[in-house]
Amino acid sequence: MAVGVSPRTASWLQATPFALIMTALVIVPLGIIVVVSFMDYGFAEIIPEFFIGNWTDIFKSTLTLDLYETVLRHIVIVWAITLVLGFTVAYYLLFHVRSNFWRAIFLTACVVPFWTSGVVRSVSWVPLLGREGLVNQALMGMGFIQQPISWLLYSEFSVLLVYVNMLTLAMLGPIANSMAKISPSVIQAARDQGATEWQTIVEVIIPLIKPGIVVGTIFVVTAVMGDGFIVKSMSGNQVNTPAGAIMNEINALQYPPAAAKSVLMLVIVLLFVGTLLRFVDIRKELAR
Amino acid sequence: MGKRRPVSYYLLSLFFAAFLLFLYGPMICVYLLSFQGPEGGMSFPMRGFSTVWFETLFKPGGRGVGDIHNSFFRSMRMAAIVAVLTMLIGVAAGMSFRRRYPGANFVFYSAITSMVVPGILVGFGISLALNVLGLRPDWWYSGIGAQLTWSLPFALLIMFIIMGRFDRSYEEAATDLGATSRQRFQYVILPLILPGIIGIMMAGFTSSYEEAARGALNIGTGNTMPMELTALLGAATTPVMFAIGTLTTLFMFVTVIGTLLITMSLARRRQLRLVAQPA
Amino acid sequence: MKIDVDFNSKKVAADTDGPAASPEAAMKYDVEMVSVSKVYDGGAKAVDEISLRIPKASYCCLLGPSGCGKTTTLRMMAGHETVSDGDILIHNRNITDAPPAERGTSMMFQSYALFPHLSALDNVAFSLKLKGVKKAERHAQAMEYLTLVQMEALAHRMPGQLSGGQQQRVALARSLITRPKVLLLDEPLSALDPFLRVMMRTELKRIQTELGITFVHVTHSQEEALALSDVMVVMNGGKIMQAGTAREVFETPGNSFVAKFIGGHNVIERDGKTFSIRADKCRLIESAGGQQMVATVTTVEYQGSQVRINLRSDSGQDLTTLLSDTRYFDDPPKRGERVIMSWLAEDEWPLAAA
Repeated sequence: MAVGVSPRTASWLQATPFALIMTALVIVPLGIIVVVSFMDYGFAEIIPEFFIGNWTDIFKSTLTLDLYETVLRHIVIVWAITLVLGFTVAYYLLFHVRSNFWRAIFLTACVVPFWTSGVVRSVSWVPLLGREGLVNQALMGMGFIQQPISWLLYSEFSVLLVYVNMLTLAMLGPIANSMAKISPSVIQAARDQGATEWQTIVEVIIPLIKPGIVVGTIFVVTAVMGDGFIVKSMSGNQVNTPAGAIMNEINALQYPPAAAKSVLMLVIVLLFVGTLLRFVDIRKELAR
Repeated sequence: MGKRRPVSYYLLSLFFAAFLLFLYGPMICVYLLSFQGPEGGMSFPMRGFSTVWFETLFKPGGRGVGDIHNSFFRSMRMAAIVAVLTMLIGVAAGMSFRRRYPGANFVFYSAITSMVVPGILVGFGISLALNVLGLRPDWWYSGIGAQLTWSLPFALLIMFIIMGRFDRSYEEAATDLGATSRQRFQYVILPLILPGIIGIMMAGFTSSYEEAARGALNIGTGNTMPMELTALLGAATTPVMFAIGTLTTLFMFVTVIGTLLITMSLARRRQLRLVAQPA
Repeated sequence: MKIDVDFNSKKVAADTDGPAASPEAAMKYDVEMVSVSKVYDGGAKAVDEISLRIPKASYCCLLGPSGCGKTTTLRMMAGHETVSDGDILIHNRNITDAPPAERGTSMMFQSYALFPHLSALDNVAFSLKLKGVKKAERHAQAMEYLTLVQMEALAHRMPGQLSGGQQQRVALARSLITRPKVLLLDEPLSALDPFLRVMMRTELKRIQTELGITFVHVTHSQEEALALSDVMVVMNGGKIMQAGTAREVFETPGNSFVAKFIGGHNVIERDGKTFSIRADKCRLIESAGGQQMVATVTTVEYQGSQVRINLRSDSGQDLTTLLSDTRYFDDPPKRGERVIMSWLAEDEWPLAAA
């Protein structure tokens, strides 16, 4: 926007602050993690000598495999559930709700819960799922069980439940965005040709929202992979994942092994996202 | 289609209601339990009904309150700064994508990377970098910086969506009538993307207020709200926690609704409507 | 064969009670609309009690300005819009409440609405896939219809790789493969450039004649409607202004709206009575027997074999005359020139008020 500057230079100037911050605060730090992963360590200190030990530990230990197996299980379950939930709600909101006003209200209603602080929300599961919690009391009151169920809280179940609660919106959003781009006349054409509602969903809608599904998948998978907080707090520290292990080591000031584990996770995440992005053109998806 | 609703409509409406219940369930527990009386505990059944826990929150030296007031102030301060910075840097970056230029791909892909890489890794990297440089983390540079790594890519995403819908013929008409590029921006582009810009500020504000993973190691001394709450969580024995939850939700609610109302009245006053294209 | 079209703008009891007298009479009309209305919430009447009968295997155009209700009428026939009041019959079967796929109609959308993720071939074969027809069989049938519309060479292209005209032909094939009794076309030619429009128009007429089914074609172009129609229905404000053959509508307009909308007519008031006179029946000569009016030339438009002269009369009325090019170049009138426009009284056509 400076006078007398060519448009290309103007663009370059506009993007520079962004690029600088990304470089200094993302690219460089990630690079430093890579470097530190090859360093030796003592008690609460990094010894700047080349040391391959962190990496050999990772690949020799069965712990790594166990941790990734756990998180993979989490990812698959959470992805499947959020996909079904997100799709169904998005389908309802975009193809069944007719009034724009109500659609906006309902969409907002889905977002409001996220205005409660995340930490407080994690406390809130106790009165709901605990032994004396609402769910148990309701189930006992209706006669389904005699004793309160203990695995509702502080178990893998509660971890997955919280993931689903938090991440369905991340799947619903991109899917709804994709659905909104489908021209209504295409849906009418399908009905005109004799398609039932289910056939319309399977033959027309699902093929056309693939980009939204991919974006939602990226959000959900990276969120579950990178989470250390929920998995520890909601499982009462019983369940461990790669992210949890990294957090443990950071808290114990053992940076190089934490760095090595971090690099491994980084590589896996970037490979995954990179592969998925080959299937969707992001810029086209964002445009209208 | 017609006035008749298929069976699927009713089934799906029920499903949606159940879904909302699932989303709101935990929160409603928090709100209800925050109104307990002095004998209230951390779980149901509710014991008593009062606002005593809200009062505890505002009494100096209240039990289970910790350093919440200062944390709140710190979070607010950071969130406000992050909101403004995100808006300035993000909008500028978004505008840059209207043409091709060397390095555009770098900006785009680094933004994607920042969004998909787990927050704790970014936070860890930044604190390692500070370690290497011999600097101590502090809220006003490393804290804010860490939070920007999350809010800026989001701002760029929103800008892409906005610019995608933006009709360039408005700009061309302005140029035709003699507008310089600064005038074009001030009188044509800015008013039309203003709702989006406000959205970006809101996103920056809320994401900063909520942010825990990236900033945790980089805030320096003095906790932010999420950090303080996490600490209190460990020692959580009183419903003050719930009172805090109710109030922060109320606070966010008011902020967001307030912003929406301002945006809508702005739009109405300028009689702007981003035209939705009929299919 | 003389085309026999009923036109009734009021509710008619006789049409709605009892079946047709004989099987022959029953199959005389492909489409019947009986006092059909469409009312939106808030009372806005998009279509106001229209009644219409379209004879077997005819090309019927619904013509009118934007907002006249022609598209709403078409969509009610298709089942994509509910009917507020009245009945619609197709092949003598009341389909007013039937879903779109069970009416024996098929719709061609203004935007073609091809499925973006399917090739042209799969688009056409779509309805067969829904019924469970095996791939080889349905692809073979789809190819037949693509050949009918001359798109067989591009069968494997995606809609995004086809031009507007090509997409439209695929959409046509897709609609025809369902073997509809009535094909409904929603402004099919509007998105094409003028040259293609004329070409496609011939195609549509050819296919309609070959297949022997009824086409109902919505348009706002008078020229298109005149060229294509066996039956032309002029609409305005949710009502039918006139229904008849193209020739009937042009030579004997039903009211002043039709006369003005169809173009090529002057509508003149004299002694409290209104009449229309065709622009090409008006001449510019200094003196003659017959009717005349004094006017000033406002614009002259060259149109190839004809020249259109716009005039303003002394009483402030806008008039038009169409001269053949030879007559024009014999003695070209200039802008601002005062002339006398004259015509023969027997060429006048009296009009009811619209």
